[in-house]
Amino acid sequence: MDNYDTVDRDEHPDEHPWLGRLIKVGLFLLAQSIAVLLVSFVALLVSFETSWSATSAQASLLQPGDAKSGTLLLKEDGATTEAIRLGTDIDITVSGPTLRTRVTQIFRNPTKDWAEATYVYPLASDGAVDTLKMVVGDRVIVGDIRERRQARVIYEEARRTGQKAALTEQERPNIFTNSVANIGPGETVLVQIEYQEPVHQSGNEYSLRVPLVVGPRYNPAPIVQSVDFRNDGSGWGATHFDPVPDRDRIASPVLDPAKSAKINPTSITVHLKAGFALGEVKSHHHNVKIESPDNATRVVTLAGGTVPADRDFELTWKPEAEKAPSVGLFREHVGDADYLLAFVTPPAAEQAAQKPLPREVVFVIDNSGSMGGTSIEQAKASLLYALGRLQPNDRFNVIRFDDTMDVLFPTSVPADAAHVGEATSFVSTLQARGGTEMVPAMRAALTDKIADTNLVRQIVFLTDGAIGNEQQLFETITAMRGRSRIFMVGIGSAPNTYLMTRAAELGRGAFTHIGSVDQVEERMRGLFAKLENPAVTGLTAKFSDAKADVTPAIIPDVYHDEPLVLAAKLDKLVGSLEIKGRVGDRPWSVTLPLKSAAEGKGLSKLWARRKISDAEVARTLHEMTPEDADKTVLALALDHQIVTRLTSLIAVDKTPSRPEGAPLKLSELPINLPAGWDFAKVFGERPQQTPTQLRERRADAGQPAARRPAPVTSDTIRLPKTATSAELKMIAGLILIVLALILFVFNRRQTLLTDAA
Amino acid sequence: MPRVISPLILALVGTILFGDGAYIHAKAWLAQVLLERAFERSIATGQPVKPWSWADTWPVARIEVKRIGASAIVLEGTSGQALAFGPGHIHRTVDAGERGVVVYAAHRDTHFRFLRNVAIGDVIDVTRSDGHRFRYRADSSAIVRFDASGIDPETQGFELVLATCWPFDAIASGPERYLLHATLIDYRE
Repeated sequence: MDNYDTVDRDEHPDEHPWLGRLIKVGLFLLAQSIAVLLVSFVALLVSFETSWSATSAQASLLQPGDAKSGTLLLKEDGATTEAIRLGTDIDITVSGPTLRTRVTQIFRNPTKDWAEATYVYPLASDGAVDTLKMVVGDRVIVGDIRERRQARVIYEEARRTGQKAALTEQERPNIFTNSVANIGPGETVLVQIEYQEPVHQSGNEYSLRVPLVVGPRYNPAPIVQSVDFRNDGSGWGATHFDPVPDRDRIASPVLDPAKSAKINPTSITVHLKAGFALGEVKSHHHNVKIESPDNATRVVTLAGGTVPADRDFELTWKPEAEKAPSVGLFREHVGDADYLLAFVTPPAAEQAAQKPLPREVVFVIDNSGSMGGTSIEQAKASLLYALGRLQPNDRFNVIRFDDTMDVLFPTSVPADAAHVGEATSFVSTLQARGGTEMVPAMRAALTDKIADTNLVRQIVFLTDGAIGNEQQLFETITAMRGRSRIFMVGIGSAPNTYLMTRAAELGRGAFTHIGSVDQVEERMRGLFAKLENPAVTGLTAKFSDAKADVTPAIIPDVYHDEPLVLAAKLDKLVGSLEIKGRVGDRPWSVTLPLKSAAEGKGLSKLWARRKISDAEVARTLHEMTPEDADKTVLALALDHQIVTRLTSLIAVDKTPSRPEGAPLKLSELPINLPAGWDFAKVFGERPQQTPTQLRERRADAGQPAARRPAPVTSDTIRLPKTATSAELKMIAGLILIVLALILFVFNRRQTLLTDAA
Repeated sequence: MPRVISPLILALVGTILFGDGAYIHAKAWLAQVLLERAFERSIATGQPVKPWSWADTWPVARIEVKRIGASAIVLEGTSGQALAFGPGHIHRTVDAGERGVVVYAAHRDTHFRFLRNVAIGDVIDVTRSDGHRFRYRADSSAIVRFDASGIDPETQGFELVLATCWPFDAIASGPERYLLHATLIDYRE
């Protein structure tokens, strides 16, 4: 075809036919380039067109939120944002077996706008929150308990109409949210909540623990599913599933400690009335001043006045006597019922008579990012201590997890020197990083491969519990626990106590906290005493005369040095309480006459709180339908005025304060990173910026007011890239065009030559 | 026909590349026209005005070098986006006319092409978006690496630095930058 074409054209009378062709091609290329240029201009104009109308319509001020890629704005904005300030005062009164805590949160609004503040904070997981007070100026508004949804509606209504309102909601048994609406410019609103809690006892030691910060939680990603209907038109399909449906509600903005000073100053006072002559009283993580008005009373205050809310406050006390009383019995009369609280520490089995049973121990260590900093050191030290305590006839295994997981040995191995050595070096090299996928690790630990019933199977789980999908973990334990017993070791400055206690309860084990490296040995020794000594089993409680509603209904096994704690609601306070069980293989029983019970405070609340927690456990264990459990919880909560998953406290100041039309700004109060945590490990690397706050600018003599708020960060300024690729592209383009021309001419020549030949 | 096709494809690619390069210049030029309008309005209203609705930046100043008839509207920030439209005000430096050093950076082949013609001693006028006008005089120039500019952000003087890529006629971008330093000599409302 080519040749025919060219031949045809060669017959043309023109003397230089290829010249004409060349001109044609040149013209074509010129036209094409003009076209491309035109097209690009048109594209540009089209993309600008909308802007013209938009800019002329609203010559508005640029708001931070307007910017489509507003990192520049946000950074500047972040440096200057004035926020609601918060101060907290905690006042604890310990009366014998119970303690009552009053938490006063002071919300101050230094801004010029009306504000709504929400603050996510932790409380003891077995506390019963029963009082909410809001103090505005000299007025005190006392909150009512309502069904959660109803309380929300009341709050929203008040918020809309400009009334001051405070709402206390439970997110987890140990995480609560306070929302305060309509705090006026420059105004201060006090929100006070109170809760009742039992004192913890372990062996000779009594303790209380006040969590001050909710550590940032790892929330596993939802399994993304599209709803997939079957083809047969039956209407059945798969649904969505999110392991942490309320992930937004339990997350707060967290301040990077390298960039900003610690916030949320907290003062703590403990009035300790133990009911017996006191020996050592010790605060584990805070410096305190201790006054002793008499030998059974102490007043504990923070030495420095206030501390930033970034770690748990832990106070322990011991009796002056060698041995703590092994029995405690307290009563309270509320309404037409009597409430009873009993502590009984069963005797320890004689060590000599008991040959320790061989055990299979699976150690699970959390090396996720939230464990970064001092937590991982505590966890490793604890695990190394535990490995050293193993007996040669024990078997063991080690599992580490973050968002990945390693099981050291395929099955549990004998604890001989070689295996323990291997495990020791494995543990020593662990680094904290990544997410916290706890469920697969728990699943692996619960998988009972040996199934040797001569071995006692124990799982020791070391973690800070910084996850949001607690319920998923509980369900795993319930489904797979078999004969394994789970011992939780809470690591770090702000562990998730709710996860620890509930997992240990469902796993029929025990739990302990390790808040610093100093506590590792003492606490691990206590834990090993529990692991190595036989538990007190088969416990039952019987009242001789009174009709009683006892909680826990099925009494769990009691480990070494732990008391058995019973709460009961009685119709009359007569007769006695008999507790029976087996210590090792010997029967044991104790009878307590009820009339010798001492007066206690808030016992009814504790009983109700335990009942609610029993219902929640029964729900997890599928012993109760969710509907029944909810009904029980709701009835108890409304009866005893307790905040639960289903009930909230709401206080509304009926006098409207915010003028109509004035806007309301929401501010989610930031929290500190728990002490010892590593910001970068939890939230990833910081953006490339050196700390600004640490640097001070030179004093200004001249015109300080005109200065920008000093966003300067480094000594020299990095200069941006300031060359475009325009030239390069244009030159490359031209070269290609010229090349094309040469090629064309060359081809043309060739054709002509062939033709001539 | 294949003999014709291969050069044609070559030519087409060449033209597209050329057009793409030309587009960068066209965009730089056209954006300045729009920015000029927005800037005039900023001065009139005293508030930042975005040149087009989805812009993440806005004009902050106009630089003029009267001797060579050069002028450009400076944008806030130096993201690649902003620099395509005009010189950028480096985010961590002060505003024009304030104590400290103000740094503007732009592409050597578009908005700061004129920088090669600015001589020491030339007068540089900067008009801020609030209408204040400042006059600087160029007093030194330097060639530095981008990460070691030597600009002291805490200087006590009233200084201006214009920055662009060096060398001016290079085709690829490199680590070197050309800095033109100027000091405030006059101030007018």
